[in-house]
Amino acid sequence: MQYVIIGSSAAGINAVEAIRAKDKDSKIVVISDEKKPLYSRCLISYLLAGTIDEKKIWYRKDSFFKNNKVNAFLGIKAVEINAKKKEVLLDNKEKVVFDKLLVATGASPKLENIPGIDKAGVFPLRTIGHTAEIQSMLEKVKAVAVLGGGLIGLRAAYALKARGKDVSVFVKSGSILSQIVDKDAASLMQKRIEEKGIKIFTGVAAKEITGDRSAKGIALDNGLKHGCELVIIGKGVSPNIEIAGGSGIKTNWGILTNDSLETNVEGIFAAGDVSETNDIALGESSINAIWPAACEQGRIAGLNMAGEREIYEGSLAMNSIEFFGLPVISVGITKPKSDAYEEIVRKDAARNIYKKVVLKDGVVAGVTFVNSIENIGIIGSLIKNKTNIEGIKNIILEDYFDYGKIIPLIKKSKKGFREPEFKETILTL
Amino acid sequence: MKKIYCNIKKCLGCGSCEIACAVEHSKSKELNNTISESPLPIKRRKAEFVEEGVAISAGCQHCDNAACVTACMSGAMYKELKTGLTRHDRDKCVGCWMCIMSCPFGAITREKQEKQVVKCDLCPDRDKPACVEACPTRALSLGTFKEFKKLCNM
Repeated sequence: MQYVIIGSSAAGINAVEAIRAKDKDSKIVVISDEKKPLYSRCLISYLLAGTIDEKKIWYRKDSFFKNNKVNAFLGIKAVEINAKKKEVLLDNKEKVVFDKLLVATGASPKLENIPGIDKAGVFPLRTIGHTAEIQSMLEKVKAVAVLGGGLIGLRAAYALKARGKDVSVFVKSGSILSQIVDKDAASLMQKRIEEKGIKIFTGVAAKEITGDRSAKGIALDNGLKHGCELVIIGKGVSPNIEIAGGSGIKTNWGILTNDSLETNVEGIFAAGDVSETNDIALGESSINAIWPAACEQGRIAGLNMAGEREIYEGSLAMNSIEFFGLPVISVGITKPKSDAYEEIVRKDAARNIYKKVVLKDGVVAGVTFVNSIENIGIIGSLIKNKTNIEGIKNIILEDYFDYGKIIPLIKKSKKGFREPEFKETILTL
Repeated sequence: MKKIYCNIKKCLGCGSCEIACAVEHSKSKELNNTISESPLPIKRRKAEFVEEGVAISAGCQHCDNAACVTACMSGAMYKELKTGLTRHDRDKCVGCWMCIMSCPFGAITREKQEKQVVKCDLCPDRDKPACVEACPTRALSLGTFKEFKKLCNM
């Protein structure tokens, strides 16, 4: 048996560990186009900010490959999958054969299709390499333009502000973090970010990056110009599905899989940012390109590759961000698109607290907490377990809401809360 | 795996476990001195009311398939292979709160100034965790689930 894993970030690493837990001896090959993978992608903006040093960025130690008896092909890109011959073709023309294959190729930053995007001084923030490149030119940078007000754009803005730069963020939509939180939560965050000196311009987009070889500024679609030496593109990511081309592996936005995370081609699995899965809250196929989903998918795919039968229940959008001491966490649906949803909101302006749950037919489908974030995981678990919360609706956003309050719901639930720990806690009720 | 279990039938929700936990995790480890410490130590257990007259002392369940470990983006939260316990490495934690986002028991708390999280560590300096020792009704016990069931006659 030879396992081959393309990709060595969250999904790839967790797959290796899951396979090794069940299969100590078979060969595992990992292929990564990064020379030094095993770092946490989520931490690169922390590194850029200088809030952590390089030592802290490693998600797994250097000895990971050796300890797990992995033959690692690093700095080499897998370019093609031949499903019939069970081979992966590499960019150095070598071929690697597999019995079981995991495609965990991740996602790439979406780059804007505007003139000047290829100038020096224009970067996405996706890899440790990007961080290094940005760091190396920082000395010469006074002003930074960040295009995009999503999680990555704002993390980059925060990092560069921490490095003493004059940072402006340009957001096409009406509010920041529009994929993650509603307008109320976004405006609390925006206020805090602006108070700390980052400028945010909403409803405006760059139409050109100006300058000769290097970026000198951006031209905006409202006719104004903005001078800067560094441009960060934070426009989200798109899944790296090119590798599936011609292989017979079915794709939509991402690679499609069944509940074992196996693709339509037997023996080929997909996990992480490249995979499209059932979104538990939406009840439809979606890509949740987030670290926790990638780790869980990697683990489950790995177990199934090793011959176990572990079911993947689906993914759930969830994000946790903090700017200048103000944290926000959201899980599931934050901005319902139809009248079928009900919202319960609690605002406490004096304490900068905002809490909201979104319900459909009494079942929680989403939650957002600003500033007071403890216990939000309990509500996330209610979403996962599709729990009707009619009985606790009036207390769910209160400060005193805690695990104890959902114990009666767990006791009543027939299908949900299958993990043994839930049963253990309610045993004596 | 040995961990802390709570017998809901015996728990009064008195909060003795909370105080014992906070004191054990303080600098001085003495109640009288703890009160004047700044910042105040953080408790890792909570006495929570289920309904009137019914309470549970809740904390980290050291889950087999721990959501906090899956979500942790720095590798700070991990499963200790030998014991199966869920451990937290302060040197690796960056305070991203992904574990708080994921914990279905609400058992993880922020240490805001330090940008760290805290949770039940089963009192590494003691034979018996402070909460178990402090529980006046013996609702709390340390042991395996099998031992807990036996203790509760279930």
